[in-house]
Amino acid sequence: MYSADKTKKFAMAYIVDRCVDCKACMVACKAEWQIPDNDFRTHIDTGIAPAATERLSMHFLPHQCNHCDDAPCVTVCPTKASHKRADGVVDIDNRKCVGCRYCIPSCPYNARFFNNQLGVADKCTFCLPRIYDGLMPACVTTCPGRARVFGDINDPESEISKALKDAADNRYRVWTLRKDLGTEPNIYYIQK
Amino acid sequence: MEFQTGFHWYIAVYLFLAGVGAGSIVVASLADMYDRQKYLSFIKAASVIGMPLVSIGIFFLYIDLGQGMYKPWLLLLLFVNTTSAIMWGTLILTIFTILSLLYGAYNLGILDWFIKKAGFLKIFKPLAASGFMNWALIITGILTAGYTAVLLGVLKAIPFWHQTALPILFIISASSTGISGAMVVKELFFKEEAHLAKIETTHFYLIMLEILLLIGMLLIALQGVPEMKFSALALLTGEFAVEFWVFLVLLGLVVPAVVFAFVEAGKLHVSGGKLVFFELLVLAGGYFLRHLILHAGVYTQKFTDYIMIHY
Repeated sequence: MYSADKTKKFAMAYIVDRCVDCKACMVACKAEWQIPDNDFRTHIDTGIAPAATERLSMHFLPHQCNHCDDAPCVTVCPTKASHKRADGVVDIDNRKCVGCRYCIPSCPYNARFFNNQLGVADKCTFCLPRIYDGLMPACVTTCPGRARVFGDINDPESEISKALKDAADNRYRVWTLRKDLGTEPNIYYIQK
Repeated sequence: MEFQTGFHWYIAVYLFLAGVGAGSIVVASLADMYDRQKYLSFIKAASVIGMPLVSIGIFFLYIDLGQGMYKPWLLLLLFVNTTSAIMWGTLILTIFTILSLLYGAYNLGILDWFIKKAGFLKIFKPLAASGFMNWALIITGILTAGYTAVLLGVLKAIPFWHQTALPILFIISASSTGISGAMVVKELFFKEEAHLAKIETTHFYLIMLEILLLIGMLLIALQGVPEMKFSALALLTGEFAVEFWVFLVLLGLVVPAVVFAFVEAGKLHVSGGKLVFFELLVLAGGYFLRHLILHAGVYTQKFTDYIMIHY
């Protein structure tokens, strides 16, 4: 089902200045995938700039599975239920997952949770069925501020490639989370 | 600001029981090679708890599984991914469990009973009584005790666990609690007037080493990355401070260390009920060591400022 297209590499960017912490992405994702009550596949963290700085400011940091190229969850999964697809998506095969939970603390991004209803680990899949049906992930479609940009970074005409090129051309700040851990994440943060 | 979730108390129980079981067999095998007749009561006591405790520990791991619990055929997949520490552990635990079952059956005379019923089983007796068996048990036992920490240590997402000292600490603690477990069983079921001075001395030094290693790990953690420091402070002054200072440090380490120091100095003789009491304190300390390291790591605070380092 939804076999991986090797020519593609899916990624997402958050234009963080546009995030207003409305949490519509969290709700849309939950509704799309019928996630258990207390769990979410995507979160928004709130950070306050250090009080020592002159200008106090609040930051909103959306986050989810980073679909890392060198994903710790894939390394530690004993059954290979967690795997990296050729299209860049880190996916969980529910038929193979024993529910050992080892992948959950292995993730530096706190992106995984244990789905008690299914007895397996759970996380964002970039809405795999939706994207192969030609739709955008639910969180991207819903985001009122258009903070989330998704697409195939191998395609220079995709929205994400354009957003990253625009950021590079304009010298916006672009970063990934916890680069120090060498996980090669595929979620980009852009600050204009 | 988020907290990791994932590992429950079941895992702490598993880490503890696997440690006690493996530690007791390692010490018993060493004693076996040194002087079997002299330490026979200890070897028998260790045989009672060795393989059974590791198996009960694995049972706790099993009931913690989500799908694997009611789809047991999925357990075969635990051998599939060679990069997973769980795969290494499954392999080590399987070998250790089989070897320690055979060794225990031999020491307790159960193997002889089976040989009477089914003669062909005698082929196992030379193996169970061999020096090769002792070495195999020492190696797989140390691997079992060490692996329970490697399982945590390979996760670089949790800096408090990601330390080379952790497997060493767990191996020392496993040997110490393994001695305690076997001593309790010996006092209760194999009450022979055996002179186990060397094992008691070893036990004292193991506890002292454990205290020093724990101090070192915490001092290093306090100078570590923010998550690591948060974990250390959670133990020293934070939400786990009472359990840490009372159950681990005072009752689990300091009290037994002081008592065993007096025993070593020949100023105190502890036996019978009193010995069982102090050995139970060491066992409780062994459980809290794993429980607290697990929780201080897994519930560490994810620092927004820290993850936004490139902001």
